[in-house]
Amino acid sequence: MEAAFFELSGISKYFAKVIANKEVSFSIQRGEVLALLGENGAGKSTIMKILYGLYKADEGKIFKDGKEVKIHSPKEAMELGISMIQQHFSLVPAHTVTENIILGNVHGIIEQKFYQGEIKKLAERYNFDVDPNDFIRDLAVGVQQKVEILKALYQKANLLIMDEPTAVLTPQEAENLMHFVRDFTAQGNSVIFITHKLKEVMSVADRIIVMRAGKVCGDIKRDETDEIELSKLMIGKELNEIIQDDQQIKVDQEARLEINNVTVKGKTNVPSLNNISLTVHKGEILGIAGVSGNGQQELCEVVCGAILPTSGSILLDGEDITEREIRARIDLGIGYVPADRSRDGMIMDMSIAENMLLKSSYDGKWQKRGFIAKGRLNQYALQEIQEYSIKAPSPETIVHGLSGGNQQKVILAREVDNGDKLIVFDQPTRGLDLGAVNHIHQVILNERAKGKSILLVSTELSEIFALSDRIAVLYKGEIQGIFNRAELTTEKIGLLMAGFRVEEVSQDAC
Amino acid sequence: MINLLSRTIMMGTPLLFGAIAEVIAERAGVMVTAIEGIFLMGAWAGFVGGYLSGSLTVGFISAILAGLLVAALYGWICIYLKQHQVVTGVAMNILTVGLSAFLYRVIFGVPITPLTVNPLATIPIPLLSQIPVIGQILFNQNILTYAIYLLAPLSYFMLYKTSVGLTIRSAGENPEAVDVAGINVLTVRFITVLLAGVMGGVAGAFYSIGFLGMFSTNIIGGRGWIAFAICFLGNWNPKGAVIGTLAFGFAEAIAIYMQSIGNNALFPNELFIAIPYIMTIILTVSRKSFSVPAKLGVPYIKEN
Repeated sequence: MEAAFFELSGISKYFAKVIANKEVSFSIQRGEVLALLGENGAGKSTIMKILYGLYKADEGKIFKDGKEVKIHSPKEAMELGISMIQQHFSLVPAHTVTENIILGNVHGIIEQKFYQGEIKKLAERYNFDVDPNDFIRDLAVGVQQKVEILKALYQKANLLIMDEPTAVLTPQEAENLMHFVRDFTAQGNSVIFITHKLKEVMSVADRIIVMRAGKVCGDIKRDETDEIELSKLMIGKELNEIIQDDQQIKVDQEARLEINNVTVKGKTNVPSLNNISLTVHKGEILGIAGVSGNGQQELCEVVCGAILPTSGSILLDGEDITEREIRARIDLGIGYVPADRSRDGMIMDMSIAENMLLKSSYDGKWQKRGFIAKGRLNQYALQEIQEYSIKAPSPETIVHGLSGGNQQKVILAREVDNGDKLIVFDQPTRGLDLGAVNHIHQVILNERAKGKSILLVSTELSEIFALSDRIAVLYKGEIQGIFNRAELTTEKIGLLMAGFRVEEVSQDAC
Repeated sequence: MINLLSRTIMMGTPLLFGAIAEVIAERAGVMVTAIEGIFLMGAWAGFVGGYLSGSLTVGFISAILAGLLVAALYGWICIYLKQHQVVTGVAMNILTVGLSAFLYRVIFGVPITPLTVNPLATIPIPLLSQIPVIGQILFNQNILTYAIYLLAPLSYFMLYKTSVGLTIRSAGENPEAVDVAGINVLTVRFITVLLAGVMGGVAGAFYSIGFLGMFSTNIIGGRGWIAFAICFLGNWNPKGAVIGTLAFGFAEAIAIYMQSIGNNALFPNELFIAIPYIMTIILTVSRKSFSVPAKLGVPYIKEN
């Protein structure tokens, strides 16, 4: 048999005491699309970073065409034809497309015109609509990804590694990406796809490597498997289906949160929210779908009071809160779980108990003669730790050491308490493993059952569909439409997320 | 007036040396807060080398080595050990004040009259210096001023038209992008800091052996910080640095002029010296768009 294009053999990698990869071995052939499937923290990204020279393996060997190679840096990886597109793009926002692509690939005086022409040609060959003169900061995420791909193509990569490439794309953009992948591999190149989405795997991969807890636990041809087998391998036990609850037919019609004609102008005077009107009723989950960066964060912040609208009004239970400050809104019962928990949600170097008190530190119940009532606080935190099954030895544990899922539960516990009336969730399950996702979904449904109103922002359509009673689609700061869950299909919502209007969509759908 | 403008150019020379060095390093993401100390050690080493050997060339070479040494220490602490740049710089600036005074006394004792050397002579450029007005202002200067005429456009060209410049600018905007492109971010940053050491050393020596012909521990008197401010004022661009330098150079020339004619009654000297600082604050507050490098002052820590 012909030697594999690349082969990994017995690779192990340890971070401090944690095993990231344990004796990982697999190969990739020329012209093959390989999917690397696994939950968050399964070690998929780590093994690929080793292949790309970003991490150094503690044990094991790498072979190219049957010959052993040493890869100590991305530079050496690129010389072997390997290129990797990170989950967080490594582009320079203040530079142009051309400057980003040629970084590290040219020497001496830069002939701008010449390189612009080259890149234009390359983009046209793969049908990428990218202008080499544009600044990265002005481009949508989907286009930035194309720039990353062009960068790899420019370096004449013939093994392209993509880390969760569809996480930031609309369904249609994702479909285009798949077209490219097939096109690219048809020319004898190979692609490794890191993902946790089963659907994608089934649609594009030739072969699937399933990883769990740092080890390979499956190496299967696509044609010989199905989604159920893959999910079992991935999780290691039967998939605990998230119960798709029946839509509440009879939503309490009493409005809780009313947003009327709210506009938020950004620094550039381009509105980040444009004339938005929404109502969330009591006991209702309103899902906000959309590709990230289309005004979701502004919407959450304007409800919580972190930013004030340029025009329009916000009402909670009929009371005008447009001008109220954050603290007043907390007192009124608005909870907020922000998208970036380490930046906006908690202080990493403080303990669980201290983080629990963070948003209500002024409250008399935490004070004892002007000092923090440590005993009371710890007792409360301990209770929450048990209730939310947060894996931590004590309330004094520093949150920095907790896993992402457990950190999120700490915030969840706090905000569920703060939000007596309304809880705003911005991407509550991003980057968490399935167990934690399940738990958080359960909490959201429970709180709704208590009659609270929920504003749920998510870029994961499955999450939106699983939880929402009604769904609004946000595109470039405008509402594309609000629908009952049953009215929408993935295809329809995808078009709305890509900026098509309702009329156009219904025509297309017919 | 011609004299005043000629002075502006001359006094601006070391400032521009320092400011351009600062621009390049800050474009790569490192604030060289030790610039004051680099200036001072450059002034000290320049004088010692020049005085002991009797050759100004040796003096400038010593200044370059001293500047390199201070910069290397600063770069090692801030880039490789990833310590805080402001804290490290301030500490090193204080250290160099004591160090230069101490070493000066170790070598020369405490002389009754200040030791002096003959400073750099002006070299009128044939023909060009004969041009009325402009010739006197621009082409009757010393060799370092002529050097900066070349270095200023060269640094702009290097930063914006070459691959080296692209790498430097990328290192200050998004070091990950540089790393992924297979270039060592720390090396790029360290080299720009060393360059700042070389240029800052020369700038410092300009004060001791290029202009005054003597050394004292307060010879720099905050001019390193002015170079630092000019980088800011010039929006991290060599072009802007030239304009900023002219403003500060002019203010200093006026101050020296006022002092020399003994006119202290109407406007105190300090007022003229203060103007550029006040201008810096006003411009900083009023300016809308900054092109400050996104990762300025942030050490690059690679995961793993």
